Amino acid sequence: MTQAADEDNWQRAQLQLPAGQPGSGARRYAAAMYFHARGLMPPQMLEIYRRCYRDDREDPVDLARFEGLAPPPVTGR
Amino acid sequence: MRDTRIPNDWDRRGLPGWTYHSPAMLELEKEQIFRTHWQIACHVSDIPGIGDFQTFDLCGERAIILRDRDGAVQAYHNTCRHRGSRLVAADSGNCPGALICPFHGWVYNLDGTLRGAARPESFPPMDKHVFALKSLEMELWQGYVFVRFRPGPQPAVAELMRPVADEAAAYRMQDHLPTDGFWTETSPVNWKSVRDVDNEGYHVTIAHPGLQDLYGASYVDEPFVDGVSRSVGHYTPSKGRRWAVRNYKALSDPQPFLPDHLHKSWLYYGIFPNTVIAITPETSLFYQELPIATNKSVVRSATYRNPVETRQQRLARYLASRIDRETVAEDIQLTIWSNDSMATDSFEGFYLSDLEYGVRSHHDHLRALLPIYNRESRPPEAEVRTVNHALAQDRGA
Repeated sequence: MTQAADEDNWQRAQLQLPAGQPGSGARRYAAAMYFHARGLMPPQMLEIYRRCYRDDREDPVDLARFEGLAPPPVTGR
Repeated sequence: MRDTRIPNDWDRRGLPGWTYHSPAMLELEKEQIFRTHWQIACHVSDIPGIGDFQTFDLCGERAIILRDRDGAVQAYHNTCRHRGSRLVAADSGNCPGALICPFHGWVYNLDGTLRGAARPESFPPMDKHVFALKSLEMELWQGYVFVRFRPGPQPAVAELMRPVADEAAAYRMQDHLPTDGFWTETSPVNWKSVRDVDNEGYHVTIAHPGLQDLYGASYVDEPFVDGVSRSVGHYTPSKGRRWAVRNYKALSDPQPFLPDHLHKSWLYYGIFPNTVIAITPETSLFYQELPIATNKSVVRSATYRNPVETRQQRLARYLASRIDRETVAEDIQLTIWSNDSMATDSFEGFYLSDLEYGVRSHHDHLRALLPIYNRESRPPEAEVRTVNHALAQDRGA
């Protein structure tokens, strides 16, 4: 596996951290920014993660669906 | 070879009293002494894991020291490139994988490069290196993390500390571990009053009964030479009359890695302008006074220990810290008295003993940087900077 693939996997794991875990909101947002920079996360979805960055309990994917956005495949759901 | 001899005939005066109470003088000191000289921010063991960080504020400047994803220690200005917000507000913590500005949400990689701006579509394309966090000059010395906010007259830390490097290396401080975190205390004095007390051992005999009991008359100060002073006290052969000292002497075991002459010694390295690394067989610690106002300073300190210690050595470490804690409390009172003297017209200034030459040597370092310290009468506040500038030009001419 390449270094880039390793990094993608690590970032994906960060993105998919379960809601409620302390610090997870920031980790998810930082990973979302990583995938945005790679062209794999649309700005609207990045903004969802940004909204949730200080609220570890809020699930960005749920929020996106609530707002009528389709989460990109990189979210894993 | 350091020449640490005390001259036969030296000027025994201290700095003029007005320099302890002038806001304009303090601004000069912040600008030309504190921001331009090496400061200890932390020890490498304060940030053992990836993403661990420690912050350090000094005279309006802000640093963040962190462990990057390669395990290397990095130092940045703790300032977002967007609007200048603090990137991290906590004194210490962990930022896994990235730093996120709490103001608008810009994200930085641990190598300092910009991962991305919040609402990126609202900006033109941004180069991650152009908008990277600003690096801070940093150097590791025997486990201690030194930073400097602006270029200054001191050489690299390794060069600065070379005269004591071999002796200090015996303690293996780079392997030390934290004990009880950072300690700070705000004191109602000018920073120089803290240093004036700390730079001489003349007062130890009556002011610090614990230290007197521990190492007594063996204590010697070597003055500041090229920015570094050294003091050492060897334990007296007596058992010790005070409870903490008696038990410390009984429990302080020789450390197998130390040479014989350091088994029963406490060492102090003064680092111009405001820092001391103190070393015992059980611990190393640093302390520094940070100026807040002419009559307000913060004393900041942290203690580290050997990575492997027996129960007996842990007890000895506790007793060493207890002796040191008493000493700090005693010194705080002395700094207040010393500082008060600088505000009264009836006091005509220091008349220093040969045993206080360390004070003078520190003052001489200050005078070399800011010639206005030589001005006995107080200039108008608005003219302090221009008078100093003129004096510096005259000296250079």
